[in-house]
Amino acid sequence: MKLLKGRRWPYVALTALVSGAVAWWAIPHVGTRTRVVGDYQGNDIGPVLPTLTLDALVSSASAQVMLLAAAVAFFVQLYSTKYMGDDPRFRSYALLIVLFLLAMVAVVAADNLFVLLIGWEVMGVCSYLLIGHHWERDDAQSGAAKALLVTRAADIGLLLAILILGQTYGTYSISEILVASGLEHPRNATLIGLLLIVAVVGKSAQVPLQTWLPDAMPGPTPITALIHAATMVAAGVFLLARLLPVYATSQVAMTTLAVVAAVTMLSAALFALVQTDLKRALAWSTVSQLAIMFAAVAVADGRVAVDHLMSHGAYKALLFLGCGVVMHAVGSSALSAMGGLRRATPVAFWTMTVGFLALAGIPPTVGFFTKDEVLEAVRGTPALFGVVLLTSIVTAAYSTRLWALTFLGEAKEKHQTPWVMWLPLALLALASFALSIGKPLHLGIGALSTVAAVVGIGLGWLLRARTFESRAGRVLAGEFGYDRVFTRFIPAIAGWKARTVVWADDNLIDSYPRGSVHAATGSSWLVDRLQSAKAQLYATGIAVGVLALVTYALVRVVVS
Amino acid sequence: MIAAALLAPTVAALVLAVAPRAFAGRRAAELGAIASLVALVELARIPVGRPGTLWAEIDQPWIDLIGARFHVGVDEVSWPLALLTAFLTLCCCIWLWRRDSSPALVALLMVIAAASIGVFVAQDLLLFFIFFEFALIPMWFVIARWGADDARPAATKFLLYTVTGSAIMLVGFVLVAIRAGSLQIGQVVEHGDPSLTGAILIAVGLAVKVPLVPVHTWLPDAHSKAPTVGSVLLAGIFLKLGTYGLIRLNVQMLPEATERIAPWLAGLGVLGILWAGLACLAQDDLKRLVAYSSIGHMGFVALAIATMSQTGIVAAVFGSVAHGLITGLLFFLAGSLKERYGTASLAALGRGLFGRAPWRAVALLVAGLATIGLPGLAGFWGEFLTLRAAYEPASLLPQTFSVVLMVIATLGIILATAYVARFARMLLQGVPTRLDLDRDIVRREGLVTVALLVPILVLGLFPGLIFDLFPPIGYAP
Amino acid sequence: MPLLFPLLLSAALFGVGLYGVLARRNAVLALIGVELMLNAVNLQLVTYDAWYGDTTHTGQVLTLYVIALAAAEIGLGLAIILALFRARGTVDVDDVERVS
Repeated sequence: MKLLKGRRWPYVALTALVSGAVAWWAIPHVGTRTRVVGDYQGNDIGPVLPTLTLDALVSSASAQVMLLAAAVAFFVQLYSTKYMGDDPRFRSYALLIVLFLLAMVAVVAADNLFVLLIGWEVMGVCSYLLIGHHWERDDAQSGAAKALLVTRAADIGLLLAILILGQTYGTYSISEILVASGLEHPRNATLIGLLLIVAVVGKSAQVPLQTWLPDAMPGPTPITALIHAATMVAAGVFLLARLLPVYATSQVAMTTLAVVAAVTMLSAALFALVQTDLKRALAWSTVSQLAIMFAAVAVADGRVAVDHLMSHGAYKALLFLGCGVVMHAVGSSALSAMGGLRRATPVAFWTMTVGFLALAGIPPTVGFFTKDEVLEAVRGTPALFGVVLLTSIVTAAYSTRLWALTFLGEAKEKHQTPWVMWLPLALLALASFALSIGKPLHLGIGALSTVAAVVGIGLGWLLRARTFESRAGRVLAGEFGYDRVFTRFIPAIAGWKARTVVWADDNLIDSYPRGSVHAATGSSWLVDRLQSAKAQLYATGIAVGVLALVTYALVRVVVS
Repeated sequence: MIAAALLAPTVAALVLAVAPRAFAGRRAAELGAIASLVALVELARIPVGRPGTLWAEIDQPWIDLIGARFHVGVDEVSWPLALLTAFLTLCCCIWLWRRDSSPALVALLMVIAAASIGVFVAQDLLLFFIFFEFALIPMWFVIARWGADDARPAATKFLLYTVTGSAIMLVGFVLVAIRAGSLQIGQVVEHGDPSLTGAILIAVGLAVKVPLVPVHTWLPDAHSKAPTVGSVLLAGIFLKLGTYGLIRLNVQMLPEATERIAPWLAGLGVLGILWAGLACLAQDDLKRLVAYSSIGHMGFVALAIATMSQTGIVAAVFGSVAHGLITGLLFFLAGSLKERYGTASLAALGRGLFGRAPWRAVALLVAGLATIGLPGLAGFWGEFLTLRAAYEPASLLPQTFSVVLMVIATLGIILATAYVARFARMLLQGVPTRLDLDRDIVRREGLVTVALLVPILVLGLFPGLIFDLFPPIGYAP
Repeated sequence: MPLLFPLLLSAALFGVGLYGVLARRNAVLALIGVELMLNAVNLQLVTYDAWYGDTTHTGQVLTLYVIALAAAEIGLGLAIILALFRARGTVDVDDVERVS
């Protein structure tokens, strides 16, 4: 303990070890086409009692996500040695990052649904603790509590989905469930699908449970990068992609998912457009990009969703870490405090430019290729295709606006960026290009999306100086006032009900013990009255009693 | 083995009663710890037998006139609960390892422990009832004598409720025993309507102990006013007497009659989940909050029992054990706050405990996470299996009704998250309000905390430790 | 003479005696009530003795027994009342309710 006090490197070494092990495990699986095999026997009675097994089910997609998570976690840890360098609570912070990574690996690689659930919920708790890392601050407390509450409420969906999966297929093993759902027409598909959607809507911050993610911004910026790029929110996409065969036959579930995705991607992109805070804008951008992945899932193309997840993971980690550098330089995440940082933080400028290009979907960044894939996948659903295209215009617009507001303008003084902070940025920028290698290209759609991106960039350039004072702008900036449901209505209702219950306990239910006390004192008063110590009164009682008995006996005799 | 487990605490209690001066302070706690350790080891030595049979059975004639026998034995339902009792008593004795502990308090704890183990092992209705009462009366002294300054009314309320419950239960026993012509639990045969009345009376009597809404208000008062070890034993063991009784005497002894009251049991259980969850949101006193959360957890157990399926019984036993450990830990931690600061009021305790007493705060947080049923910790399995049992109940519970109850019960999980987040925010987070008494966890507190955290984690990761005692469920034909 | 007459007389005597015991506050009068009740019983005993024609005359024997008992009782009772009167200056039963 003494040895570790105040030192940062042991934690980096630990993370490197864990990340390295995860990568070592994952790399051989990348690109393999795993055929799910399991010795599934029909089980009509229901599942056996649950056990936790360490069986792994690593598909190519799991391996990719594991690699992404390992890399981002390592970068975040390295970056944090400077970014959080002076933090007195670095130890808990660093260990929680490692736990976060392990939980993500559990979600991605586990074959046992309960191991998955453990990882899923532990991630929720880790994000609660990390968002609330600055627990002295009021906004950190409320953001953390909101994240925990919203995601856990939605986690009930996953819990029930696991329950129903078990009852339907008689097993809690994903591989056996996938084999079984392949053998026969999947049963209970709609119910399972809807429950899974509830779970990921919470975890991945989709409409109607979207507001916790932007409110989680009081967390340290590297943590935001970790949550947004590689772990927490990505888990939702991965889960839906992995269990796709179980519910893909349900029209209801797929349509619901498509509607959720469409509404979320457009509204979140519009919110991102009008933000006055760089970090919050990027958060809404994450919500919007996740919805694009869900659009791919909604047309039953899990591979494309995971591809976009990977590319988004790379450039969004880059953007958030870059945002951290910028915040370091100006001491705030408000866009009004920025501007002119092009020369002040050159590394952040160049790498974040790459990141914004990828977000906008400009070739040859990876963002272009994976969005291209998504567009190709949803082509069969014109409405969804239209919304995705529209969203990519808005996305390009807000990317441009954020970029311009952050970096252009009157130059600020130079700010040193230590190597542990710029190295991850540079590597992630490299990845934003390198991941494009080998990606397919669909010419027509590619041209269309490039045109959309260019239109968006032009739009963003025009909007860059605008403050959104108009009525519509204010409604957008207020995010439709939707958050009031969580900040005002639900707490008010819960508080009112809680007070009612306590009142009932005190005044209604406690009336039994109070009543029994009254009954006891009352009857003892009565008995006390009778014990008058007047012999004649007692004698009268005896006489009346005897008379009554005699009368009764006489009546009995006469009647019979 | 069972006899030794019953005798060890009894002997310790007698020794402490006869020679209190020889065992002042730490010596008393040491004696108690040794006795409960002996009981724990003796119970743990019992070889695990086949489910449904009695292990380590002792059957001796006792009162021939009424057919009462000294008949004890454990099975898969009672063994984990008896172990839990011995273990929690051991923890309590470690907790009392300090200079100002009273030998009389330790002696009363020993009586409670012996009697509670007795309830779990008794296979004779009269024996069950006697042990049940023997556990109850000493608790009144513990609360009234060693509780908070204003503990007397709470203790009396506790006594009023539970004695009334016991009396009702006794009438039920008499009815059932007369019809069955035997006091042996295993030999009771049901006889139509009289059994129904008997089952209802027994269930009502036990419901007070569980407790089910609306006979629960003794619990928050008693728990919050009792001394730390009193709260732990109340929550960890006393409530289990109720749930165990419901399993043993209602579900197993009078299944047909219990089927007819199962919908009520399930409905009241779920009502309790919601009721307690909401009440927790409005509590200022940490001990009261934990007490109310107990009612919620016991609601889950009641729902599991009401399904009367095998899954439900497993869920009830697991949930009971997990609740004993988790709520025991929470009461230890809340009690240590109260012992240190003289109050458990969240407003008075101040904020920012993370900064003032980090380990104490982390322990509270982990216990809070366990209480919301985080997967990987013991609290999860009971809740999950309860939901699963409610999804396909075996009793007369209509499935639609049961599934609706299941969905409402999940609301309780959300409410639990809400109240834990609330107390974490009010107590653990925030700008630290430094108080003079601030001190992190001391050694004996740390020992007890770790001793409870380990089984919570182990049972969370290896639920098979309890599941495997039961016959396998759902094997393919 | 029909059986009814002496029985009615006995009942009346007993009623008057009972009234005396229960309602009179003066202890001497209450004692007289007791005597009346005893004599009502005596009357019944002789009546039935005559009516049955009992050769062993158990009724008459018992009557003598009761008369002896009544004499003893009235002696004892009057002695207590006298003692009471000397101690408290009253023979009102309500005023002497607390005997101790």
